[in-house]
Amino acid sequence: MKIAVCVKRTPDTETRIKIASDGKSIDEAGVKFVLNPYDEYAVEEALKLKEAAGSGEVVVVSVGAASAQETIRNALAMGADRGVLLKTDAVSLDPLPTAKLLAGELKSGEYDLIFFGKLAIDDYSHAVGAMVAELLGMPAVSSVSDLTVDGSVGTAEREIEGGVEVVEFPLPAAVTAEKGLNEPRYPALRGIMMAKKKPLDVKDVTLPEGGLELVALTLPPQRQEGRIVGEGPDAVPALIDALRNEAKVL
Amino acid sequence: MSQFVPADYQPKLPLDRLILTDPPSEERIEMDVLFVGGGPAGLAGAIELAKLVRADNEQDGSLGTVSIGVLEKAGALGEHSLSGAVVNPRALRELFPGLSDADFPFTTAVTKESVYLLSDRSATRVPTPPSMKNHGNYIASICEIVRWLGEKAEGLGVDIFPGFPAEALLTEGDRVLGVRTVATGRDRDGSELSNFMPQADVTAKVTALAEGTRGLLSQAYCEWQNLTGENPQIFALGVKELWELSRPLDQVIHTMGWPLPKNAFGGSFFYPLEPTVGALGLVVGLDAPGRSLDVHELLQALKTHRVFREYLEGGELIEWGAKTIPEGGFYALPPRRSGDGVVMLGDSVGFVDVPSLKGIHYAMQSGIFAARAIFSALKVDDTSGSTLGAYDRMVDASFIKDDLYRTRNVRLAYKDGFYKGSVKAGLMTITGGRMFGNRIDMHRDADVPRDVGEKTDLIPDGKLTVSKVDAVFKSANATRDNIPPHLIAAADVPAEVAEFYTHVCPAGVYEVADDGLRINAPNCVDCKATDVVGPRWMPREGGSGPAYKRM
Repeated sequence: MKIAVCVKRTPDTETRIKIASDGKSIDEAGVKFVLNPYDEYAVEEALKLKEAAGSGEVVVVSVGAASAQETIRNALAMGADRGVLLKTDAVSLDPLPTAKLLAGELKSGEYDLIFFGKLAIDDYSHAVGAMVAELLGMPAVSSVSDLTVDGSVGTAEREIEGGVEVVEFPLPAAVTAEKGLNEPRYPALRGIMMAKKKPLDVKDVTLPEGGLELVALTLPPQRQEGRIVGEGPDAVPALIDALRNEAKVL
Repeated sequence: MSQFVPADYQPKLPLDRLILTDPPSEERIEMDVLFVGGGPAGLAGAIELAKLVRADNEQDGSLGTVSIGVLEKAGALGEHSLSGAVVNPRALRELFPGLSDADFPFTTAVTKESVYLLSDRSATRVPTPPSMKNHGNYIASICEIVRWLGEKAEGLGVDIFPGFPAEALLTEGDRVLGVRTVATGRDRDGSELSNFMPQADVTAKVTALAEGTRGLLSQAYCEWQNLTGENPQIFALGVKELWELSRPLDQVIHTMGWPLPKNAFGGSFFYPLEPTVGALGLVVGLDAPGRSLDVHELLQALKTHRVFREYLEGGELIEWGAKTIPEGGFYALPPRRSGDGVVMLGDSVGFVDVPSLKGIHYAMQSGIFAARAIFSALKVDDTSGSTLGAYDRMVDASFIKDDLYRTRNVRLAYKDGFYKGSVKAGLMTITGGRMFGNRIDMHRDADVPRDVGEKTDLIPDGKLTVSKVDAVFKSANATRDNIPPHLIAAADVPAEVAEFYTHVCPAGVYEVADDGLRINAPNCVDCKATDVVGPRWMPREGGSGPAYKRM
């Protein structure tokens, strides 16, 4: 079974985000970058499928700056076989150019499955997986929390509002991973050592045109501090007043 | 019970778990040289060794490829590193002769400094003691220094493995063969989760223990080999905060006195990491006899003093952290820091000079010396203790020994309290250590009886002053909640002793519950304070603990 996993280097969720002076990007000073957590589920699922099949290849592909090689190495340390970095320093929060680059790389690879995280925790666009599927003319199954593959047919559970949707689809297909799909493995010491020697192909690319322009980034407003309006039943009128006139929720 | 001795309730170091005599696993990973700990000592050693090997290879030497590995327990380099820090650049200069100070990851040169003696209301500026003069030194974040050293080391081909704590020494006879790492993915009861990853044995011709303060395997090695200094090692606990200041700070500030009780040794620091980013902290000896002495709470009280308040009020707490510091100095050094297949570096052995508040450059220099000794040993294919003893001889002939010898009794003089200590320490400093030059006998911290003492009664306001729970959040501690407990306490600890632990620990790990001591192990930030006077610290799954960014 030949499987591709598309991964992204994202700031750690613990990062204290500062917006850079251009107002359109984040200040990367002191920011720790990690393998996008949803992509870890994708890598784990790919490895499990390959292990179950007994043979095959797991290829990790990323779009990004040279530093994304480290992210790919993380996935190689988990057990993936080789990596491809489509190297560009241009930063885009527009999903389409990224999807075009990935589709271009993947189209001749004859992959049975292409995995993605359901979203990248930095831009939350949820879009690249579905776009790549469209560009390659294959089914896209998003937010998958359980997956079985039998021959050339996949069955996926998707968590939807208030329930679970079960879908069946033919391979090849693109699947985006939801939390709960599996428990990603820790890289072993030996895995990390071996990852340093696995092939990682770095290809220079130019980011194609997209359809979106990033106008500005702003931080969410600071949360207002709570206030105690009084105690006991006597405070109810004051609470109603505050909810109606200050919070405007009544 | 009004008085107790902490040692009476402290479990022994479990040597049977720490010194393994079974042969290493067949699946072992073999390296030539293994550094345990990716701090300034281990990384400086790895860099120097990689450079020596490279030079040897270029000159067609006989050595060939030498694999150098660094194990680090934090999830990423620097995340468990915490220091003031004002750094003496001499070891960095020696390690990178081609670079200038401007290339190093310092933020600012120290240009102005003040020392204040505080009372609760006033601040009296006192002359800066000669040992504390910092002209020519630089303010820096140890996290940034460590990350920078890590990049340099990787550039030289060193393999760095963050997220791999070592839990035991692999041994044969008196020789250290390597270490065993900690397994990951265990449930609270020790059972294996679906992503369980077993421990790995890593063997090397030389294992360099650079674990930092109160290093577990260094302690175990010293106990196993009966290596005790003339005095026992003693420790202080430092609690540190990083603040976005409401107004710029243009100098290095140190304070003594309030809010510490007079029978405690310690002081505070306040450094401008950037003009409007301040690093402040309080360091207090763990031999203070008051059993409710609480360094975190004292630091909170300290911030309400006008010296600090005017910079902090309206600012924001960015990070919080804590770490112990070995303060025993010259007389607490183990008689040898090398043995068959092993060397010990930096804070692990106590290369810290308390009067000048410095350790980083000693740690790095010890790494450099160790690397040179290891290189020579590899060249002659003899990594026995007698060959690696060259490391000890280099340390003893260097400024590390000179500096520590000169101030050998200064910290020790304070065992009788602040005022007597100050007079004695002052006279020692003026006479270059000759006055009161005979060794002052010290007790182990855990042997100092604890009595009812002063209590800080401060209710945190959540802005200027923070509770321990909020503080731990600011250490970015994201330890798994269901991790197995890693702190070993004695059974049936009396309530007074349990209460004492709640004050020693800055991170709110210990609570006194109806049924005795409750341990909230995931809160632990690996400061090692209770390992000194109470429950023992054992390493846990890699990546657990704090994730310091600029401490």
